[in-house]
Amino acid sequence: MTREEVFAGVNEVFRDIFDDEEITVGETTTADDIEDWDSLEHINLIVAIEKKFGMKFTMGEATGMKNVGAMVDIILERV
Amino acid sequence: MNRYTYAELTVGMTEAFQVTIRPEMLEQFRQITGDENPLHTDEAFAAGKGYPGRVVYGMLTASFLSTLAGVYLPGERSLILETDVKFAKAVQIGDTLTVRGTVKEKNDLFSFIVLQVEMRNGDGEKVLRGRMKVGVLDGE
Repeated sequence: MTREEVFAGVNEVFRDIFDDEEITVGETTTADDIEDWDSLEHINLIVAIEKKFGMKFTMGEATGMKNVGAMVDIILERV
Repeated sequence: MNRYTYAELTVGMTEAFQVTIRPEMLEQFRQITGDENPLHTDEAFAAGKGYPGRVVYGMLTASFLSTLAGVYLPGERSLILETDVKFAKAVQIGDTLTVRGTVKEKNDLFSFIVLQVEMRNGDGEKVLRGRMKVGVLDGE
């Protein structure tokens, strides 16, 4: 799976979780860029991404990722 | 009150309790929320809309989900994160509801459970169904 393909899948999950078809995430996207990305939705994001890609994050990864690019790095290591 | 830890909870585990809706519950709910809608406060209005009596507030019915999680499943360690409910049938004053929750999923990473929830009236009809995500707090 290419980085672009992972980004496309991650973007799909973000749009679904936040009910917003206009979201486009990039390497440097953080919670500061998406108003509803709070701690509860972060849990939903992590769970949905794990299901989408059939992989698991560690607790340190789930709570320590600095941006979406870091999230994609971890996904690429596992798929 | 139950005191299930996250480790003690298993998929398929079920807890249930019963509650009878009394008129004073509607009055207390009206005072707390300020919801004066006549469907809940005026017998004649409710009858005119085709109901046998005042309709119980849906959100009053749903509030027993707080009891389900906070007292029964998981009980003391409960922290409700999300609730998604559908009001399948109107509830009437005097109805005795059976409130039931079943553990459908566990998430080890964040220590929460997903409950499938339902409430049935005395005739066995489903009046509410839904899903709750409930955190299970650790520590003593």
